Amino acid sequence: MRRRQFLKGALYGTGSMIALGGCGSLTKVDQKTLAANQIAEKTVYSTCEMCTSRCTMAAKVRDGKVIKIEGNPNDSSTAGTVCARGSAGVSLLYDPQRIKKPMIRTGERGTGKFKEVSWDEAYTFIADKVTQIQQNYGPEAIAFASRINPQDAFFRQIAKAIGSPNTFSHEATCPMTKTTALEMTFGNPWIAADYGNAKYIITSGRNFFEGIHVSMVKGVMKAVQNGAKLVVLDPRFSVTAAKGEWVPIKGATDLAFFMAMANIMIKENLYDKDFIENYTEGFDKWVEAVKDKTPEWAEKETGIPKEKIIEITRDFAAKRPNALVEFGWRTPWTPNDYQCRRAILIINLMMGNWEVPGGYYQKKGAGVLQPFPDQAGYAKPTGGGYGPMPPAPKPSKGRIDGAGVKGTPGILIPVADGAVGQIPESILTEKPYAIKGWLVHRFNPVISMTESERIIESFKKLDLLVTCDVYMTDTAYYSDVVLPECTYLERYEPIIDQSGLIPKIQLRQPVVPLVYPDTKPAWLIYKELGQKMGIGDFFSFKDMEEFLERQLKPSGIAFDQMKEKGFWSPADMKPFYMRGKDPKAPAAPSLNEKGKMHIFSHEIEEAIPGQGIPVYTKYPQPGEGEFRFVQGKVAVHTNAGTHNVPVLNELMPTNSLWINSVSATKLGIKDGDNIVITAGKYEHKGVAKVTEAIRPDTVFCYHGFGRISPGLKRAYGKGINDNKLIPNAIGESGNVVTSMTFVKIRKV
Amino acid sequence: MKESTTAELYLSFATIFHRPHPEVVNHLEELIELWEEEIPDIMEPLAALKKFCQIYAPGETRINTLWEHYIPLFETGSVEAPPFASIYLSGDGLVLGTETIAVQTFYNSAGYAMGEKAEQLPDHLAIELEFLALLARDGEEVLLENFRQKHLIPFLTKILPRIKNGSRPVYSSVAQILQSWQLG
Repeated sequence: MRRRQFLKGALYGTGSMIALGGCGSLTKVDQKTLAANQIAEKTVYSTCEMCTSRCTMAAKVRDGKVIKIEGNPNDSSTAGTVCARGSAGVSLLYDPQRIKKPMIRTGERGTGKFKEVSWDEAYTFIADKVTQIQQNYGPEAIAFASRINPQDAFFRQIAKAIGSPNTFSHEATCPMTKTTALEMTFGNPWIAADYGNAKYIITSGRNFFEGIHVSMVKGVMKAVQNGAKLVVLDPRFSVTAAKGEWVPIKGATDLAFFMAMANIMIKENLYDKDFIENYTEGFDKWVEAVKDKTPEWAEKETGIPKEKIIEITRDFAAKRPNALVEFGWRTPWTPNDYQCRRAILIINLMMGNWEVPGGYYQKKGAGVLQPFPDQAGYAKPTGGGYGPMPPAPKPSKGRIDGAGVKGTPGILIPVADGAVGQIPESILTEKPYAIKGWLVHRFNPVISMTESERIIESFKKLDLLVTCDVYMTDTAYYSDVVLPECTYLERYEPIIDQSGLIPKIQLRQPVVPLVYPDTKPAWLIYKELGQKMGIGDFFSFKDMEEFLERQLKPSGIAFDQMKEKGFWSPADMKPFYMRGKDPKAPAAPSLNEKGKMHIFSHEIEEAIPGQGIPVYTKYPQPGEGEFRFVQGKVAVHTNAGTHNVPVLNELMPTNSLWINSVSATKLGIKDGDNIVITAGKYEHKGVAKVTEAIRPDTVFCYHGFGRISPGLKRAYGKGINDNKLIPNAIGESGNVVTSMTFVKIRKV
Repeated sequence: MKESTTAELYLSFATIFHRPHPEVVNHLEELIELWEEEIPDIMEPLAALKKFCQIYAPGETRINTLWEHYIPLFETGSVEAPPFASIYLSGDGLVLGTETIAVQTFYNSAGYAMGEKAEQLPDHLAIELEFLALLARDGEEVLLENFRQKHLIPFLTKILPRIKNGSRPVYSSVAQILQSWQLG
C-alpha cells in the first residue's frame, strides 16, 4: 500500500495544511481574521501604461478587484478621460494568458518548450550565462533593448554595472528621427506643441485621432472646435484627415512640400524676421537651400497642385504666430527622415511660434522654471532614488551603432535610444563586433523591428536571449529565459515627469495586490538579478517606497500626497509661455549652450558635410504594378503591445491591406478577397480592403498584427505583420525605414 | 467509499492539476494504482497513463515532458484549458470574477482561507480539489457535497472536456478518470 503512505502522509501528517507538491495553499483561519480582511470600495489614482503616453487614471476597486478604469477627474489635461486602451487595462490585469512564473527553455528555439522555475533558478541561469559571455567576449557583447518607460532605468542599470555600452530603446522604430531633429535644432528633445490654442495645424502623417495621446487629442479637438484649420498630408485618408482637409501627398516627398512652403514664405515675406534674427542662426543657408524649391517644383515631386501648396502656405502664415506644423510621432519613413523633421521645425521657427500660445514650447519641468524669478517658486525639481553606488566600469569598446560620436554620422543617433536595428546585424555579421547576449525588457523585436525573419535568424546565433514581459510575446517564445513582470496596476515605478506648460509629476502605484503571486515588478526583478550577478550595490534602495521618498524629498511633495492624488501640479500656476507677454523676452531652449536655435546645424555639417541644412533627396516612386507600403496606428491598439489583451483583441482582432479601388480593379481584386503581398524575398497572406481612401500608388495596413507566437492565443496568426515585409535598413539617424518598401499584390 | 479514500482521491487529482512537482511526478505510478483500485471503468485512460510511465521513467525527462504540456494547457500563452473556474462561470472570461469570490467565501465559511504564500488563485482547479480533500479528511460531508454541487461539478463540466479533448498526455487521461468519478 505505497500510495497510502504517499497520500495519507500528506493528508494527516502535517497539521491542518496539506504539504505535497504544489498543495498547501489553504490554511485554517478564525472568523475574526477574515472579518479584518474585508476591503471597502475605493478609488486609486495612478498612471496608465496601455501605451507610452502615461495618462493619469483612476481605478475603481471593489472587494480587492479592479472593476473599472477611468480618467483622473482632477486632471484637466485629459478632462478626466482615458482612451479605449486605458479602459481595457482591467482585462489585461485579469487575463488568464499572462505569464505567471519564470520559465527556462527546454526545447529548440521556437518550439515553445519551456519549464517553469523559481526566480532564483532563473536569476542563476542568467547570471551564469552573462558571466560566460563577459569572460569570452567582454561585457559589450551583451545588448539591452527595452521600450522607453520610467522603470526602464532599472533594466539599464544592469548594463551600466557590467560595463556594456549597448543599451537601446524602441525609439528607432518610432519617433527617433523627430528626436534627432529636435536635438540638432533646439539642443534637447523635450519640446511640445500647444495644440489647443493653435489657429492652424498642418500634420504630415501624424494621425492624432488613431495614434491617441489623450491630452494631445483634447488639444487638437479644442483647436478644431474653435475654428482652427487642420490640414493633413497623408497618402491615406486617416481618421484625422476626416476631421480636416486631406492632402493626399505622394509618399516620401513631404520634405519637398515643406521646402516649397519656406520658398513661398520667403518670397512673399510671410515669416517672422525679428524672431529669426533674434533667436536663430543659419537662416541665410536655408534661404539658399529653398530658393529653387518652388511650388511648381514641389507639385512635380508631391503630386499636390502648386495652387494648393500656395493656398495652404498663405493661409497658414496668416495665422502667425499661433499656428504650427506638427513634427510627428512615428516618423522613420525614409533613410534621412530627420531632414524632413528639421525642415518642419524650421518652418515653425519662421512662424515665430516658439513659446507663444498655439506654438511650440520647452516642457516646463521644475528645472526649466528655475531661471525665471516669477516662475521658479511654483515647483522644485525631484531628485534621484538609487542612493549611493560605486563608479560604473568604463566600457572598453564603443557602441555597435557608433551613437553620439561627434564628427561622425553617429552624432545623429540619440545615445539614450540607439539604432536598435544594429543589434541583429551585429549578431549576424559580428561587425563591428559580435553580440552574443540580448536582454529584452517589455519590447518585442520580432514584431516591432523590421524584417521579422532576420530578427529570428539572429536569435539563433545568440548564447543568451532573455525576455521580461507580461505575455508570451513573439520574442519571449524564442527566449532562453522568460521573466514574468506584473502589470502596471500592480507595481510602483519612479516618478514620471509629464510637465507641459506647467510642471506636472505623476505616480504609478499598485492599485491591487499581485493577481499572479509569482510575478514581480521590474524594479525588484533587476535589483534581485543584480544581487545574483554581484552588482547589487548598484541598487542600494530597500524598496520602491524608499526610492520614491528619496526622489520626492527635494521637491517638498509628500509621498502620501502623491499616493492620494496620483499626480501633482502647482494649483495656482497659469500656463507659462516664455514669450507670452513680451515677444522679445529671453526664450532659449534648455540645454542649448548658444541660446540660439540651429536652423543650420554645425554638428550635422561636421559629421556629414553638406547636410547642415535640410537637403532634398529624391526617392524612387513605385513602378508599374508596385505599391508603396505604409503602416500606421489604430485607436484600440498600441504598437505590438495590446493585440492579445482580451477586450482590445475583441474590438479589433485582425487587420487588412488597404488598396485603392482603381488599383484593385486592375488586379481583379475585390473587397474582402484573399491576397498575397510580395516584397522581395518575403511574402505575406492577407485580406484586401478596397477603398477610395488611399492613393492608387500606395497600400496600407495597421501595425502590430500577424503574430507568430502561439503563446498569444487570441492574436496568433491573425492579420498582416507589416514588419515581415520591410527590410532591416538603418537610416541616417539610426532609424528603421518604414515607408520605402514597394510591394506587389496578387489575388489568391 | 471511506472518507479517507475520498480524501486521497481528491488529493490525487489536486496534485496532478497543480504545477508539475517532482514529489508528485515521480510517484505517478502510485496515483495510477489508487485510481485503478477505486474508480471503475477507466481502462483506456489507465492504459495510456501506464504507457506514459513506461516511456518516461521518474526523473528530469518525465517532469520536463509534463511541463511541455502543462504550460500551454493551463499556465501561459495559449492556455488551452484555463484552470480557473471564474473563466467559465463568471461571464467575462477573466480571472478573479464572481465565481472566484463565491469560492473564496465558501472556503472562509468552512474556516479556510488562501495562505499568504499561496501561488494560485482560489478557484484554480487544483485548489478546489485540495479543499475537497481537506473537507473529506475532516469528515465534513455536508459541506463537501454542498461545495461539490455548487462549484466543482459546474466547473468540471466545462473544463474537463477541454482537457480531455486536448489530447495532451497524462492530463487528458487524468481528466477522463476524474470525469468518470465525478460526472459519471
